[in-house]
Amino acid sequence: MPAILEIAGVRKAFAGIVALDDVALTIAQPGIYGLIGPNGAGKTTLFDVICGRQLADSGTIRLAGERIEALRVHRRARLGISRTFQECRVLLEETCLDNVLFATQDKRLGAELVQTATRSTRARDAILAEARRLLALVNLDAYANAPAAALSYGQRRLLEIVSVLATRPRILLLDEPASGVNPTLLVTLRDFLRRLYDERQIVFLVVEHNMEFIMSLASHIVVMHQGRVLAQGAPAEVQASPQVIEAYLG
Amino acid sequence: MRLPLATLGVLALLALLYLLPIIAPGELYALHILTLALCYAVPAIGLNLLFGYTGLVSLGHMGFAGVGAYTAALLMKHGLAGFVPSLVAGALVAGAVGLLVGLPCLRLRSHFFIVVTLAIGVILNTLFNNLDWLTGGAEGLPGIPRPQPLDLGLMVIDFRRPQGFFWLALTVFAAIFLLQHLIVRSDFGRSLAAIRQDETVAAARGVDVFAHKLAIFTISAAMAGVGGALKVTFLRAAAPLSFELMESINLVMIVILGGAGYLLGPLIGAILFIALPEALRVANELRLVVFGAILVLLALYAPRGLCGLAAALIHRLTTIGSLHARHP
Repeated sequence: MPAILEIAGVRKAFAGIVALDDVALTIAQPGIYGLIGPNGAGKTTLFDVICGRQLADSGTIRLAGERIEALRVHRRARLGISRTFQECRVLLEETCLDNVLFATQDKRLGAELVQTATRSTRARDAILAEARRLLALVNLDAYANAPAAALSYGQRRLLEIVSVLATRPRILLLDEPASGVNPTLLVTLRDFLRRLYDERQIVFLVVEHNMEFIMSLASHIVVMHQGRVLAQGAPAEVQASPQVIEAYLG
Repeated sequence: MRLPLATLGVLALLALLYLLPIIAPGELYALHILTLALCYAVPAIGLNLLFGYTGLVSLGHMGFAGVGAYTAALLMKHGLAGFVPSLVAGALVAGAVGLLVGLPCLRLRSHFFIVVTLAIGVILNTLFNNLDWLTGGAEGLPGIPRPQPLDLGLMVIDFRRPQGFFWLALTVFAAIFLLQHLIVRSDFGRSLAAIRQDETVAAARGVDVFAHKLAIFTISAAMAGVGGALKVTFLRAAAPLSFELMESINLVMIVILGGAGYLLGPLIGAILFIALPEALRVANELRLVVFGAILVLLALYAPRGLCGLAAALIHRLTTIGSLHARHP
């Protein structure tokens, strides 16, 4: 069976500055993967290249064996690569429920136009129940009919995460989920993420600067440094690696 | 409870409009200007879908209306097709031109796109003015026949009379209004709203932003084409002056005045912008001054137009009501 995600020889340069230099990374099993590294290591660029926001200059990206490196963002999203954003992006004018419902709908233009003409409400009750259940998983059920703009920043992050999960991804890319979240709520956030992972059993790939948070959340850590994958392994292994310590301190 | 109430309100308003010629049989002038307002409300719905719901501004939309208008005018003037087929043909040709314009232009970022739509409007108007062999040049195409009378058994509707044409215009408006409602309340409409709020999120969730923009731009241009065809059938002549730049700007003002992103916005805006100044006998030159002032006031106090103002008032009243209910 091919690996869920297989990145090989990926390179990306911006005006001569090499952000990704021959990155190779294989994720064979579901799990929570932490992606760490000093500032400028190329973590966010790697995210952008995986989800299609940036195209790699060279190299291949395979999702379950199929090459996807040339596809645009929406095509990769439909294949099951979904992401959250560092700055947290939700549809602020829509209610929490509509944010989740929008995520679940079939977004191919043809299917949408057919739906407009037929007014089909395909299994609406089931979809609605699933959306409410997802909101309840992160304690947002009381805000189902409130616009997302009315939520606190931390709540918006949770809404973003469940919205993305509602698209039924195979890989969930989380870009710094802990940033901007009140430190007292970090434990809650970690528990929510664990709960969501336990339910879905897919690949969570998490970029994070908060070491305590990511080391206690992830089962596997990937360390990037100067555009390359420097080390990977279990949290304890990686933390003990002299190479990693040098990269962070040096 | 809220949605059915709004639907009932709209149906009541439509019923009232349909009954207007019977309630007030003597008010022929009022019917005339209301019909003219409906001719603007139809393309305004197209622009509302584009601007109010998807967040794309087009400053040349009356150009597309003109394409539909001249198509229908040519067909009807030469007796090649009746009113309804001509209207459909006008929509199709205007939509096709919209598609051709959208293909290269919709990849542009929003402010560049606005400038390009302005240019397209001017180019189309120049073509109407100068393709004498096709469009009749500055004189236009006079002598467009009204549709044949419709025999309903109980009564015969004569479209040469103001009442008859008012009903026709209202029916065309109602059809386009229904289409607007269907689009806005569909999955497609939800994707358009997502594009307006955040294109990056829409794409990240799987929306093909370009294809969606192209689809709604085409639909919007086709709706403008219907409005143009209706207008020239009403005026019995197609002329470049009806589809010039200023008319496109007026259309944007109608949508903003009525409330962009509200189903009823285009109708309210068109009635206020077209019918009210006529009824109050405001000189054409003064109209722009008055509306300039009104636009400034709207921008300051009601950025979501009159429908937005009404929605805010209703919201305030209901919340006050519920507060009283909780603390009697």
